[in-house]
Amino acid sequence: MAGMNAGSCDIGVLLSAYLDGELRAGELERVAEHLGDCPDCVLEFRMLKEARAAMRLLPLLEAPEWLLDEALHLGPELSAYLDGELMTAEIPDVVGHLTVCARCRDDLLELDSARVAIRALPRVEPPEFLDVARVARSSPTRSRWRLATAAAGIAAAVVLTLGVATRPVPEQTVDLNSFADRHVARASVEAGFSMLPVLAPGPVTP
Amino acid sequence: MADELIPTWEDVARRYGRKIYNFAYRLTGNPDDAADLVQDVLLRVRKGLASYTPGSFEGWLWRITRNAFLDGVRRKKRRPTSPLPDDDRAPIGASPSPDEVLAAVRLSDDVQEALLKLPLEFRECVVLCDVVGLTYEEIATAVEAPVGTVRSRIHRGRKLLRGMLTWPV
Ligand SMILES: [Zn+2]
Ligand SMILES: [Zn+2]
Repeated sequence: MAGMNAGSCDIGVLLSAYLDGELRAGELERVAEHLGDCPDCVLEFRMLKEARAAMRLLPLLEAPEWLLDEALHLGPELSAYLDGELMTAEIPDVVGHLTVCARCRDDLLELDSARVAIRALPRVEPPEFLDVARVARSSPTRSRWRLATAAAGIAAAVVLTLGVATRPVPEQTVDLNSFADRHVARASVEAGFSMLPVLAPGPVTP
Repeated sequence: MADELIPTWEDVARRYGRKIYNFAYRLTGNPDDAADLVQDVLLRVRKGLASYTPGSFEGWLWRITRNAFLDGVRRKKRRPTSPLPDDDRAPIGASPSPDEVLAAVRLSDDVQEALLKLPLEFRECVVLCDVVGLTYEEIATAVEAPVGTVRSRIHRGRKLLRGMLTWPV
């Protein structure tokens, strides 16, 4: 172990770089010459060589198949794409991938149907007890702060009611599929689809 | 280097996925952490490619990888540590004779164990050099340190490693 601990030679630190072919011209001659007459450094050099050999004996492992497969396709980007929430810089890559990958296009359509189905849920009437007039009448002795809170609640309730009133609740008997189809068509225009370049019949670079 | 082609993220996953996995595996010592790290890295690459300006692609990629690893280590530290799984070993790439495999496994287990005992900054430099196969210059970019520092980290890392290995090479 003498060589490993020898602190006497300043050439020692160059030995790994020597092994890796990472020495500059001047250093190369210095090290080569020094190794000629320093047994300590020769020993250290041998040890470093062994450590390096040991590292290089480590087998190159195969990454699990699912891992790279997953990495090769789009994931959360698809939803962000549908919602128009991709960063501008991401768009070309995502669109580029969609043009060449049928699997991700299928995923996109499925996600879009799910999204459309969720959006198709009917609005619900606020329950009776939220009745504006009754809330106002209920507690005349409350502090101003409580009143203010109640007022805010009433305002919110009014907005909610109006919102429901001005928007016709869709018929409950709508066939979800045809509904989804219509919405896909609409979403195609709204969300990201318009950014999809028309699939040219020409060659597409993979 | 002027007209360096910027790869797409699919290219990166295809061309570097296995290397990143090996880097991750050697640094963390277990397949689950390695898989997590690869996912994290590829996500960062996907996000980062858009703003990548041509330069040293290897350096850029491995800096992302290395930063993802360090972030993982930081996260881990805040969580209670769980013991490493013993028999949860990833399969070995090549398929030589059973005896050779056994010997190689034992050998690489020793090396892997020793590797995990190296201080982080030595470990990452040695792995980037000997497993990933980067030049010192590229490692310097990846770990954001001067080449001279990389040199001495690799050197000291190898010395420590050799001291921990008991078998004759
Ligand atoms: Zn010497
Ligand atoms: Zn895909």
